[in-house]
Amino acid sequence: MIRKIYLDPYIFIGISLLAMVGVLILFSASEGNGTIVIKQSIYVMLGLLLFLLVSQPDPDIYRRFSPLILFGTLILVFIAYFFGPEINGARRWIRLFGFSFQPSELLKISLPLFLGSFLFNKKLPINAKQTTISIFFILACFLSVYIQPDLGTGLLIAASGFLVLFLAGLSWVFIGVTIGAILIFSPFIWNNLLEPFQRERIWTLFNPESDPYGSGWNIIQSKIAIGSGGLFGKGYGEGSQTHLNFLPETQTDFIFSVLAEEFGFIGVLLLLILYTFVLLRTFYLAVNARDRFCRLVIGGFIFTFGFNVMINLAMVIGLIPVVGMPLPFFSRGGTSLLSIFLMFGIITSMSTHRKFIAK
Amino acid sequence: MDFHERQLERQSFTQRSLLVIAFLLIFIVVILFRTFSLQISNFIEFDKASLNNRTYSVPVQPLRGKILDRNGEIISENLATFDLVTIPRDIKDVEGFLKKIENIINLDKDEIDLYIKNFNSKAFFNRELVLKRNLTEIEIARFEVRGFEHKEAFVGKRFRRVSRYDEIFSHVLGYTGSARENNFDEQNRFRSNSWKDAVFSYANGLIEGKAGLEKTYNKSLTGIFGIKQFEVDARGRLVKELSYTPPINGENILTTLDIDAQKVAANQLGKRKGSIVAVDVETGGILAIYSYPTFSVNKMANGISQLDYDDLINDPDKPFFDRSVAGRYPPASTIKPLVGIHALNRGQISWTTKINDPGFFELPEDGRIFRSWGEIAHGLINLNQALIRSSNTYFFNLAYNSGINELADDIEKFGFGSTVCVDCILEDEGLVPRPQWKMNNLNFGWFKGDTVNIGVGQGYISATPIQLAHYTVTLANKGMKKPLFLNNSLSEKIPSSEIELENFNQRDWELLHKAMESVVESDYGTARRIRDKKDFPIAAKTGTGEIISLDSREEYERIREDQGLRDHAIIIAFAPAEKPKYAVTVIIENGESGGSVAGPVALSMLKELLKE
Repeated sequence: MIRKIYLDPYIFIGISLLAMVGVLILFSASEGNGTIVIKQSIYVMLGLLLFLLVSQPDPDIYRRFSPLILFGTLILVFIAYFFGPEINGARRWIRLFGFSFQPSELLKISLPLFLGSFLFNKKLPINAKQTTISIFFILACFLSVYIQPDLGTGLLIAASGFLVLFLAGLSWVFIGVTIGAILIFSPFIWNNLLEPFQRERIWTLFNPESDPYGSGWNIIQSKIAIGSGGLFGKGYGEGSQTHLNFLPETQTDFIFSVLAEEFGFIGVLLLLILYTFVLLRTFYLAVNARDRFCRLVIGGFIFTFGFNVMINLAMVIGLIPVVGMPLPFFSRGGTSLLSIFLMFGIITSMSTHRKFIAK
Repeated sequence: MDFHERQLERQSFTQRSLLVIAFLLIFIVVILFRTFSLQISNFIEFDKASLNNRTYSVPVQPLRGKILDRNGEIISENLATFDLVTIPRDIKDVEGFLKKIENIINLDKDEIDLYIKNFNSKAFFNRELVLKRNLTEIEIARFEVRGFEHKEAFVGKRFRRVSRYDEIFSHVLGYTGSARENNFDEQNRFRSNSWKDAVFSYANGLIEGKAGLEKTYNKSLTGIFGIKQFEVDARGRLVKELSYTPPINGENILTTLDIDAQKVAANQLGKRKGSIVAVDVETGGILAIYSYPTFSVNKMANGISQLDYDDLINDPDKPFFDRSVAGRYPPASTIKPLVGIHALNRGQISWTTKINDPGFFELPEDGRIFRSWGEIAHGLINLNQALIRSSNTYFFNLAYNSGINELADDIEKFGFGSTVCVDCILEDEGLVPRPQWKMNNLNFGWFKGDTVNIGVGQGYISATPIQLAHYTVTLANKGMKKPLFLNNSLSEKIPSSEIELENFNQRDWELLHKAMESVVESDYGTARRIRDKKDFPIAAKTGTGEIISLDSREEYERIREDQGLRDHAIIIAFAPAEKPKYAVTVIIENGESGGSVAGPVALSMLKELLKE
């Protein structure tokens, strides 16, 4: 018998709204494709269930099991890499009973959990040894995804780890030195580590018209879709850029452009308000979390989530290069959706379970 | 970890997370700002781009205007032909479809191969594809009977540009040929790639006038393209038709030409090389303008075999060459009235001045002999007699006593040395020679003999038949110059101008007309051959254009063997003599005698034009 349901109503309402709007937009973006939408709706239901489920246990359980969770996730990532099917040149999926599952998405949860747990009882600010160990894990997770290859998710996972470290009090000296080093080595990174297509994407950003039918196509068409939406949009299901296939990747990376085209600036404004609301509420929960573990994990989660959203939006409106990053709650994809619900479930668990103050 | 430490830690966390959240909030504001800029500030630009993306306008070809004769009779028009058009996207099984069609309509291998080759791309883009062109009535009937079985195919009407008079109007009418899309003004209204999907009214696609009236008036004949606007997807596939603005067909052109007169010209000239030009004296409108050899305009417009085309191009008689406007001929004795006017106007002679014609003219400077045609001695004759008999000696004398520049000035006043037709194409200017011209082109000084030759329209001077026609009109109008034209709508717009001749008055003109009338009427007249066949008074002047200059009659008899070296027969005439209405110029290459060869042709033309 359940004595109490652990639930933060603001979070619940916020993410439910986002998920519903997400399905609505996906319906339009997929040309009313029933299969896709029903599948996504099932994921939303499953997600909400999962959300409620993981909200209930005391967060200490997550802390204790975090090494196991991270280890398990990494195993799945490697299984996908070595045994999974190759789709579009990448090995990041596991197929099970007709459902595709992308374990790397889970690293966005496992890694902050593990780092939060690792730093839980260390003396703060963290010392060099702990920093080194943490960075080792971050790099391990990043590389396991980077080789798939999936730079976008990899960077997001790395960001989630570094955010936890940063919130745990990573020394400014270290941060300064690291940023300095990246700047110094950036020509080297540009020349040696980036693939030609990645370099092209960056060039394209600054001059999309240079190759309107090649690499510039996506961003030009996305800007046209958004711009032509105007104040009120063309109406639901009426976006010509979307429905005549001028806009690429409408169900994944460029789904925001669909919303912007059909619902206009008003729609964009409402969406951003909704995201901001969830962001600020979670931020409030992080600041008031019961212990360091919860604080770090909630912070790591929500800021990664925030960056994920912002990077996607900045990408489709042509502010940063196209990196291939889905929009949380909107882009088609079950694992992504489930992991977001999972994440908010853990956040709820962490913010609703009070702890007796020891001593 | 004590309470204080815990507080410090919390503080640090709060500070750092505030930093991150602030960063994110700024990010959100930037995104909002950027979206605002796209959706609100630059809305018009992107809205246009989006419309441009999703719509695709293809040109719809208008029909060319008809070309009509002065009575509104059709010379050139558009004839409907029928093609078997299919919609490949609706055809699931090409082989089966072709088999079904072959049961009804015979298809040859080329047609099938071409069809199969283009099938897939047309199906993908949802465009039409023509299976067979130019269906016969029987084929149409056979297809229509079973039409209900073939929703994926239909009989489409396509036009061809056709002249009802395949060969007689060829040079003046011109012909159409396939055109490049950038020859059309409409190119700005359509995307350059949309022309490949244009809706064509003509079986042979985009056409434009390549010669003659079809070219001169191509723009107004063409009309204005209509627009069919489609919605397209990103791959260029047609989704649906959005709007249709019908084309505006080209304007008909009412010409000054007269079909009957042109027919007579063609009949009269027959298989003889040459040119006939007939003009309305009152307006300057060209009634007939015929050049032989000619060619088939319908073949030129609607497909001519390479073999036939090569034959035309390589024909030594140059069928494409429009002798009427570009053939350079010596005006020969037809220039004599002008030389007479020149001499009278400059006070060199009067109508009574008599000059002895011993049958030749001796150039005082070097004793060189200039012979008269036929070497007949006319004795002491005045200008009137000299014109009637076409005395060379008389006009050698007049030219001898003239300055070349003054003489050339007066000749040019009558339109020689310049174009005279407002809307003819490829008109030649002919040549009125001057010392400067000779020095520049032949690197030789001017001799008095050169001037003497001009007196009888020989030597360096050359004129086109249309210039001679224009000159005839001017003579008929007693010095009132009227530019010639073909488009009837120009008749009111073209100003005529009076040639300035201070000492040549109305009486002089009347005497000149009388003299020219006597060319036909007089027993001595060079055109007396036609005197008894006419039923109205005619004023005329004959000419015999020498191709090479010779010293004696005997020599000519020798070179006569070569038909191509025989003299050209020329006549200029206008009628009725007392109140001229029509002017005619006839040039028959190697026809030898202006009076007896060209004369009857001119008479037939005038008879046709003057018949009630």
